[in-house]
Amino acid sequence: MNFEKRILLSLMGLAAVLPLFVSDQYMLHIAIMVLFFAVLASSLNLVVGYVGEFSLGHTAFLGTGAYTAAILSTQYGWPLWATIPTAGALAALVGVVIGVLTLRLQGPFFVIVTLSFAEVLRLIADNWIGLTNGPMGIAGVPQPEWLTQASNLAAKQFYYGLAWALLALTLYMSFRFVYSNAGRAAVAVRENRYVAQSIGIRPLNYTMLALVLGAALSGMAGGFYAHYISFVGPEVFRFAFMVSMIIMVLIGGKGTLVGPLIGALLVTFLEEYLREAKELRLSIFGLAVIAIVLFLPRGLMGFIAQRREGHGGDQPVNDRSTAAAPNTQRSST
Amino acid sequence: MSSVTTSLPQRTLEVRGLGKSFGGIHAVKDISFDVAPGEIVGLIGPNGAGKTTCFNLITGFYSPTTGQVRLGGEDVTGKKPFEMARMGIVRSFQKTNILKSLTVFENVLTGHYLEARQPLWRTFLPRREVRATEDRVRESAARIVRTLGLEHRIDTPASALSCGELRLLEVALALAAKPEILMLDEPAAGLNSQEARTFGEILKTLRGTLVRSILIVEHNMSLVMGVSDRIVVMHFGQKLAEGSPVDIQANTQVIEAYLGGGNQA
Repeated sequence: MNFEKRILLSLMGLAAVLPLFVSDQYMLHIAIMVLFFAVLASSLNLVVGYVGEFSLGHTAFLGTGAYTAAILSTQYGWPLWATIPTAGALAALVGVVIGVLTLRLQGPFFVIVTLSFAEVLRLIADNWIGLTNGPMGIAGVPQPEWLTQASNLAAKQFYYGLAWALLALTLYMSFRFVYSNAGRAAVAVRENRYVAQSIGIRPLNYTMLALVLGAALSGMAGGFYAHYISFVGPEVFRFAFMVSMIIMVLIGGKGTLVGPLIGALLVTFLEEYLREAKELRLSIFGLAVIAIVLFLPRGLMGFIAQRREGHGGDQPVNDRSTAAAPNTQRSST
Repeated sequence: MSSVTTSLPQRTLEVRGLGKSFGGIHAVKDISFDVAPGEIVGLIGPNGAGKTTCFNLITGFYSPTTGQVRLGGEDVTGKKPFEMARMGIVRSFQKTNILKSLTVFENVLTGHYLEARQPLWRTFLPRREVRATEDRVRESAARIVRTLGLEHRIDTPASALSCGELRLLEVALALAAKPEILMLDEPAAGLNSQEARTFGEILKTLRGTLVRSILIVEHNMSLVMGVSDRIVVMHFGQKLAEGSPVDIQANTQVIEAYLGGGNQA
């Protein structure tokens, strides 16, 4: 636990000082996208890693958040600091509705039903022209007042800070959840529903908590996206976002907090560098996913954890048990 | 550790006329027995006698077709498994059920769920009390691991344990939920006779320290006869006999059920 916390803190520390050294707008844009995808991948990881079910409908929350922020700011003039939390809240509400209907399902049934929810929302966004402007999307999502006067670089720096704060919030919430009694309960449900129930856990409470937390966080990411890109169309519900998120979680390692960050970093950069390869890009990602599933089923972080365990295993058995004793006294923070 | 049970209420588990049919088959029919505070009750019978079904009915994994389950006089028939656990009845499973990818310690720690429960917002804004609770359940988990003699395996993933260790871990996990009545479904299956003897000794120390009463299904006769105060024998879904281990061992009907009837005309 200390190991994971240390990595998270140092990664976030590095990310915090990055804008001091990078003043190239294009690089800053990529960095912002890395942070944005890190929030998305972390929130998907809460569902995939801690509910233990594969949701293909995570774009439903992203899209809900993006449209919420876009509509509230263009039509009602809400400022950014109000639209993003509201986007999270509304996405959480959608999470509750989807959760009530899908969390009783498992395996392929859960996958298909969550996928159809995202598709239903896409169709609504496409056809409810009065509210969403249909396939044209909502353009010109307003920026904060002072940003319109500021330079492009200052705007990028502002959004970088915002994305960093959002990721910090995401990691804090995830960390607290994962290393709490609630997180243990969620893992118990993932590992074995019978055991979970026999020790007093009501499974739905914790699958729902993980799903709604993931929904709220990706809803806020959606709200951020709406303001930053300043355009929201039905393609936020499309499968392409979902594919990126899945690849990030799988490459990084599901069920770890650092994994999705590593995944977001790698995939976002690869997507940029492989831009010239066009269609070939998706094929390369496909092959990468197949390789990961075959050779590193627990992702990069799982691989590292395994190596660390392997080193522990070299020591005599007695040493390990004495080393383990103080572990049990360790405080939870 | 010995003070734990003084805080537990003194309640009797009463099973009355319990029955379950799957389609036309009566898996369990009209079973009645009690588990009084401080008792270890053995539930035995040939394979397919309905012992595990009985367990599932009591703990709410199945809902009974007929009959009642009462705890301290209160009707708890048909409650959900997690509700039964919250009322103090925790079970283990015949087919080993543990949290496979977690270590021994993490398994037992997770078992402390009810004790470590907190309001939702405290999960995200933990205060000193939450940390104190976490420290307490960690200590308790380490103690339970020691009680069952698994301390040398405390950081081993459950998936790497031997069969005998798994059975012990399962009991540890159930104990972690601090039950008033512990229900064990064939806890010694797969243990050799030496391990089973040790296990019997551990069981006896649990009563009155970590749990108040135990209901145990077991095929290992020397174990179940050695630890139980009272034995209930099931045969073809019905109760065949009930009594002290000595009485049961002398009961001709029971012997017949296990070994088949001789033609002693």
